[in-house]
Amino acid sequence: MNIKRRYIPWHALCLLVLLAFSLQSCLGIGGSSGNFNTKTSGNGSVIGVNNQALFKGHIYFTQNRHLFVIDGSRNITQLTTTGDVRDPAVSPDGKWIAFINRYYDYSNLEYMSTSGGPWHILMNGFGFFHPNGNNAPQATQHWFAQPSWSPDGKTIIFLSDLQKLYYWANYQYGDLGQDFDQSPFLDMQVFYIPFKPSEPQFSNDVVMNNNLVALASYGDGGDRDPSFRPNTGSLNQIIYTHYTYDSSRTQQLIQIFMEDPYAIKNNPQIHYHPGDPGQEFSPGIAITPPSIATPNIEPAFSPDGKHIAYIREISSTQMGLYVMPTPPSNVTAVPSNSTVENQALQAYKQSKLLVEGEFVSQPVWSPDGTQIAYLFYANNQFNIWIANLSYNAKTNSYSVNGSLVPLTSGGVDADSRPDWTS
Amino acid sequence: MQPSMGQQSPVMGPGSMPYGQSGQAGFSSMPPNGMYPAGGPGMGPLATQSTPGMPPGNWQMAGPNGAPPYMHMQGPPPPNGKGPQSNGRENKRKKTRRFPIWARVAVGFLTFLFIAVSAGAYYYYVYFSKPLSDITGQTVKRLPGDENPNAGRSSSNSGILSGGRFNILLLGSDDDYKSKVINGGILAQTDIVVSVDPVSKTVSMFSIPRDSWVNVPGFGMHKLDQAYLLGGGGATGAALSMATIHQDFGIYISHYAWVGLSGFVSVINTVGGIDINVLHPITDDAYPDDTGKGATDPYAYKRLYIAPGPQHLDGLTALEYVRSRHADLVGDFGRSVRQQQILSQLKYKLDNPSVLSELPQLAQDLDGYVKTDMQLQDVFNLLYFAKSLNQGQIGQYTLGPPYSTTANINTSSGVQSVVILDCARVVPFIDKIFAIGSAATCQQVDANNPMAVPSAQVAATPGSAPAQADVPVAPAAPASTSWQAAQASTMSLASGAGDFLGIHSLLDLVFLVAFESPAALQV
Repeated sequence: MNIKRRYIPWHALCLLVLLAFSLQSCLGIGGSSGNFNTKTSGNGSVIGVNNQALFKGHIYFTQNRHLFVIDGSRNITQLTTTGDVRDPAVSPDGKWIAFINRYYDYSNLEYMSTSGGPWHILMNGFGFFHPNGNNAPQATQHWFAQPSWSPDGKTIIFLSDLQKLYYWANYQYGDLGQDFDQSPFLDMQVFYIPFKPSEPQFSNDVVMNNNLVALASYGDGGDRDPSFRPNTGSLNQIIYTHYTYDSSRTQQLIQIFMEDPYAIKNNPQIHYHPGDPGQEFSPGIAITPPSIATPNIEPAFSPDGKHIAYIREISSTQMGLYVMPTPPSNVTAVPSNSTVENQALQAYKQSKLLVEGEFVSQPVWSPDGTQIAYLFYANNQFNIWIANLSYNAKTNSYSVNGSLVPLTSGGVDADSRPDWTS
Repeated sequence: MQPSMGQQSPVMGPGSMPYGQSGQAGFSSMPPNGMYPAGGPGMGPLATQSTPGMPPGNWQMAGPNGAPPYMHMQGPPPPNGKGPQSNGRENKRKKTRRFPIWARVAVGFLTFLFIAVSAGAYYYYVYFSKPLSDITGQTVKRLPGDENPNAGRSSSNSGILSGGRFNILLLGSDDDYKSKVINGGILAQTDIVVSVDPVSKTVSMFSIPRDSWVNVPGFGMHKLDQAYLLGGGGATGAALSMATIHQDFGIYISHYAWVGLSGFVSVINTVGGIDINVLHPITDDAYPDDTGKGATDPYAYKRLYIAPGPQHLDGLTALEYVRSRHADLVGDFGRSVRQQQILSQLKYKLDNPSVLSELPQLAQDLDGYVKTDMQLQDVFNLLYFAKSLNQGQIGQYTLGPPYSTTANINTSSGVQSVVILDCARVVPFIDKIFAIGSAATCQQVDANNPMAVPSAQVAATPGSAPAQADVPVAPAAPASTSWQAAQASTMSLASGAGDFLGIHSLLDLVFLVAFESPAALQV
């Protein structure tokens, strides 16, 4: 009947179809979600890659402690399906990935080929709890974290508590209080080892060979985020975050330091005092001011070594990604000179804010220096975002060019440092 | 020709005819819409809402000959066989007389109310009844000698805040695994006496070191944390802990609350973990490995390394972050900063409306990990009261140095590291906090014979303060402020007011024990 034909709701059907597509898009059902291609990892978690995030090279990161790499064509490859993998760092020749494999009470510094294959241990943190009278047992296990390659690929620096079995807090030093007397030196410091494939290094050798790079003050938190300065020729420099307390011993000072990584090794005549707060001599020199209110963390050198991206805690609810020029190269030569110390802080004043948010972290430069990837917190997730950069030679500063673009969805491990290679 | 509605189903009810071809055919024989107004004044929203599949305003289709189905079912058959169409105005008057508009609205409203209340009751019964009854209202059988010194002068049963000053013992256990498997009971590593004075509007939190070497009634000298275990855990363990504190310190405990810290972990996991900026690297080689699924040894340790920087923490890592004591040179200072971070994030998570959907799971999380002899209303009133105070009205005290020293002593179970109280300092300290005068006491341990029950008992010097028996009990609801606060909080509980079914109050209790700090009340 005519009535029937008249009331067939084609337009309603069309609307329903459109609504279904919209819902599918919003809910992320299927292999793509909006502009994001998704991949389900072995443990069921989903990682998405934005088709509109343009970049060159390979970005390595971890999600749920599995290692992934995204290439410039936005292909996602899961490189590990077992273990607890963190802090991937690719060698300068692109052959190897150094990373941390964490266990319950210790971690290993390991490496694997960038094309996959077996894992090899470089530093083994395994150990035991030994009875210690009526006190807490002595733990011989070690932590390792955040490996970083030297520009020539022959050396890896990393964080560890390797000296804890050799130094204890002494009650007479620093008035630490009775509870800390004779407690082991747990703070993470920077060490180095030569990279020799298939030749694991031993903890005792690292300590006995004085392969200590950057000191920590006992009980103050230690070091974090070490990396080599690239493109410096024969000059060796590293950068890292240093945690300590002010003279009142109640307020944290979180600063970025630069130093010659071999200063301790090459100056055995200087007596260093790890575990002796206020007494130790450190070859590191601060390049950010000792401000209680403004912690600066997670430095990353630009590929040409001339600029440093870092994270500043602007307030208790806001963090910022800044870029500053690298201080003059000679500041690490004589770090204990007050004039040099002041000189090292000047570049900080030229810092420029690029990104601001509740949590912004882990900046890493693209190999060509035209982009920075960083972790940004939104919708209860940390994801990798990309900022395109413009360089102004007149002001020697960088600024963001265009929109900030999310690269991933589904969340990544925010406490694991990503890496970006060609 | 399609059959009409009436022919197809003379008694068809609302909504039983699909909106489609048959209905359209019947529509052609219907009278003008004016006879049966679309949407139906008098039928109200109930008629249209209870007709799934029927478009609003077309409910007339469902009845025979187009008559409203409701009319057809309720009224007598039309005398002339023509149905109501024959005299619409008369029928409308009859309809109005038989079932006035206000009655229909009332019936609709009552039906809606009935359904809503039934659904609410069902929701509560399924998701909250068991957890809340498991958690609150535990029965404590007080031990001989642990009588209330103010018994008989108790002011009122009208509410926990309606009387005078009272004390609550907060007990916290890292995990129940250790006790069940290893010790056959539960240690209470956290022992905090919370003294509440509704009249002066003050709260004091008094922490007694878990390793305090004390005389446990009926069991001799033990660490304080063992009293709960020796009592068998649960309400009996709480009773022995309460009796121990009463006997050894003169502090009478009115109520108790026990919290298992695994519940704290579950709660954080339920809200999806927390995201914070870790301000200080956490390295600890001697963190007690007694919480979580992997805990199999009550005396085991684990190592911690929590990297600094923004990151996501699950429940167990969050607990480690706030509880580690060895990770920070400045000890409790750094610890309090970390606690503030976690609490702020928890506040953010729990204030989010989306947490409403997690309430059943939160209740399940707490089930088995929170036990108290207080009623839910009392817990709510108590925490509402405490939260209404400013920081200056909440005191925090501990029997650490100089009120105590650590010592290794020989015991029947080997050498133990214990806390020996300096009673000469402890007694006036207790008296100052609790204002119990000569009732304040302390049993001085003989360092040369620590297993011997102390014969010497240090008591407060006469005249320093009124004895506990002399402490005036506040008259029944004399302080309008406290009484009003209780009433206000009662209303809040009944109406929700951000604490639906009191779950938030129970969470406050968990946080108070987990953080061992009044700062937890900020959540």
